[in-house]
Amino acid sequence: MLKLIALVAALSAALPATVFAQDAGQLRVGMSGGYFPFTFVRQDKLQGFEVDVMNAVGEQAGLDISFETMSFSGLIGALESDRIDTIANQITITPEREVKFAFTQPYVYDGAQVVVKAGEEDKIKGPEDLKGKTVAVNLGSNFEELLNDLPYAEQINVKTYESNIALDTSLGRVDAFVMDRVSSVQLIAKSPLPLALAGKPFDEIHNALPFRNDDEGRAMRDKVDTALSTLRENGTLAEISAKWFGSDITVAE
Amino acid sequence: MQGLDLDYMLGLVPVLLSYIPLTLGMATASMVLALILGSLLAVERVVRVPVLDLFVMLYISFFRGTPLLVQLFLFYYGLPQVLAFLTQINGVTAAIMGLTLHFSAYMAESIRAAIVGVDRSQWEAAQSIGMTQAQMMRRIVLPQAARVAAPTLVNYFIDIIKSTSLAFTLGVTEMMGATQKEAAGSFLYFEAFLVVAILYWIIVEVLSQLQKILENRLNKAFAR
Repeated sequence: MLKLIALVAALSAALPATVFAQDAGQLRVGMSGGYFPFTFVRQDKLQGFEVDVMNAVGEQAGLDISFETMSFSGLIGALESDRIDTIANQITITPEREVKFAFTQPYVYDGAQVVVKAGEEDKIKGPEDLKGKTVAVNLGSNFEELLNDLPYAEQINVKTYESNIALDTSLGRVDAFVMDRVSSVQLIAKSPLPLALAGKPFDEIHNALPFRNDDEGRAMRDKVDTALSTLRENGTLAEISAKWFGSDITVAE
Repeated sequence: MQGLDLDYMLGLVPVLLSYIPLTLGMATASMVLALILGSLLAVERVVRVPVLDLFVMLYISFFRGTPLLVQLFLFYYGLPQVLAFLTQINGVTAAIMGLTLHFSAYMAESIRAAIVGVDRSQWEAAQSIGMTQAQMMRRIVLPQAARVAAPTLVNYFIDIIKSTSLAFTLGVTEMMGATQKEAAGSFLYFEAFLVVAILYWIIVEVLSQLQKILENRLNKAFAR
């Protein structure tokens, strides 16, 4: 019986703390933990560009930052249902999303990029070569929308993934995947997967932090936005960007 | 394909080991709850309370007749849309509840068979000295049924441990979920999944040895 009680106690300790109403000095940040090098896990340590940026924001704005990892497609729902306060996962500003959420200023300027298995880059040089091909994208990402908005969208077989789009492309299960240019470059440089960029980025995207569009959410957005401006001016954003990408992705080109 | 990255695999072991309490905790909680629920269902199936019996039969039939993954999704993603209060349930709790419901149905059948398997003469002997039905169940029938059912129940526990790996689909970072994340961060998928497979295998092997010891003990107690 004692053993059982001890086990139940150990189990309850392992349960994530129940989420109560938002406290003004707290910022619960959602991320997937599976988007190298923005947010990823190694040796149980959550790390990446997003983690560094949010920690800097917390320090600057005097907010207590806590990270919650969940599947990418579940992040928006978690934000709407008040389980988290914002998403640090390269959320691209789109007209549809702007209606629903209050965004900060963009803190990453990036482009959409087609990536193929190494050796295929002479056959596929950009999105127009994707006709008749199978292309992987992350479920719920704006790259899925981008592909569907192409004039020849019905000729592309889009396959949505919860994770591991790069692996399936390198294994030849799909012809290409579409992701942002910045992390594609890092992925090709730093992972053992045989992949290559297919042509130039084909769409400019601006990424920012979304908040709930209510009084509380907008107040928090303003706080974080002010911190981002300061971090941009004092060079912290550029520094974090240089650490992860070797270039500054936090300014418009 | 290059050779295996053994350093990476060894480095992953302590990381994944830290998730064993959660995996075993979820499994143990589900086992205890399923055992209680399964025993109640089994006793009902033996005694056969009118009307209630119909519901119990329906319950057992449904939870044995649908895949565990479907039940977990129904429970965690489906029902909260209909019953708002269920959104308060987190992934771990939902996984424990799902495993409990699923395995209690299986256990009910095993325990029922074990109860029915206790020799008629035992029942008659208990009745002849004036025991009530409840006393007879508790003192004479269930202890003997437990011995028959024990090995099967350990098998279910092993099954439950392996099934906790499905909890990652409910967003719970348990041993399998942690492995997925590590693999996505290192791109060494083969190494990562190989390590987690070996860990599950070791846990189950240890339990199988305990199962043998338990069986020997139980049989000794009843040796004539």
